[in-house]
Amino acid sequence: MIADEKEMAAMMAAAQKGDAGTYRALLAEVQLWLERFYRKRVAPAQLDDLVQEVMMAVHAKRATWDPTRAFYPWLAAIARYRWVDHLRKVYRSAEDELADYDAPEDSEEEAVMARMSLERLFVHLPEKQSEVIELVKIEGLSIAEASKKTGQSESLVKVNIHRGLKKLSALVEKAE
Amino acid sequence: MNRVPNSLIDTLASDLEPVQPIRLWHGIALVALSAVATVILVELLDGLWHGIVQGRASGIFFIANGMFAIVGAAAALAVVRMASPSVGNSQEGARWSAGMLALLPISAGLMLGVGGLFSAISNDVYGLDCFLAGTGFGLVTAAALVLWLRRGAPVSLSAAGTLTGLAAGAIGSFAYGLACPIDTIEHLAIWHTAPVALLAVVGRYAIPPLVRW
Repeated sequence: MIADEKEMAAMMAAAQKGDAGTYRALLAEVQLWLERFYRKRVAPAQLDDLVQEVMMAVHAKRATWDPTRAFYPWLAAIARYRWVDHLRKVYRSAEDELADYDAPEDSEEEAVMARMSLERLFVHLPEKQSEVIELVKIEGLSIAEASKKTGQSESLVKVNIHRGLKKLSALVEKAE
Repeated sequence: MNRVPNSLIDTLASDLEPVQPIRLWHGIALVALSAVATVILVELLDGLWHGIVQGRASGIFFIANGMFAIVGAAAALAVVRMASPSVGNSQEGARWSAGMLALLPISAGLMLGVGGLFSAISNDVYGLDCFLAGTGFGLVTAAALVLWLRRGAPVSLSAAGTLTGLAAGAIGSFAYGLACPIDTIEHLAIWHTAPVALLAVVGRYAIPPLVRW
């Protein structure tokens, strides 16, 4: 089970004061949380790299968490931001499949995570955009394959990916 | 599932130094200081208009400059908050206040009509000076907010850029407005509002590369 908001906020406040032991525990929790956060939306082969990248971002930007505000929405905003960046860059091989990570579930924790999940971003996109982003950027299909599968022309697939990613980046803090 | 190597956690933990967490009021103080510095700069370079305290300013002078101040404050506050990212952060207040500012050119347009507006633009010999001055003085606030964002972790870069430009233009126009004795609605609605629109557009494209992380 991942630590709740109150515990995470207390650990982060201690980390900002330089408590390395607590920080180690916090990072372990952050790692677990990120793995669950990204499941189904990041190819397994890229998951570790993305989680590491976000953990380094959390470290570099730890001063930007305001102790008077909640911790998880801060972490989720950084995780979403890095994820959209990741989608821009990634063209993964088609054979990698997304795994259903069988993480332990906890109702309160699930509710918090669901509110800030990546799915919440996708629901704000028109279907033609989310569909091609999912196919090309997450499942790893080529533009031609995605075009064939969706019936959109290749240029339309590219345009919809471009517009969809632009919209996703504008939704990082908004969609909840 | 593969796990992130613990060596990363060890490395990050061993690199840990105490940090001063970002505080909203630090950002607000920075914006307030930059606004005061802008007004002082206006006084030093152009001299504030004494007609304001001598009762010679029109009602629209106070309304328009009050609107610039409110838009500047709302947009700057939104930018200050954006340095500390959070799902649920909203910039609605700044957007609505920008909409409120659009009342000035809309009102001028309705009062004067297209021909009258064109005539007001072409006959106002001081208009361009006000436009350039408002834009130039806005750069003080723009610089302060960019520094603040670079210290933070903004995740909505386009919005951060647009709102930074909006705040800069509004505060620049407000500060220079205190030195400008032309207090007609057409002058204020065109030449004092234009820096706000210009800097918002420039900020939308120029600021994201400066604050990306």
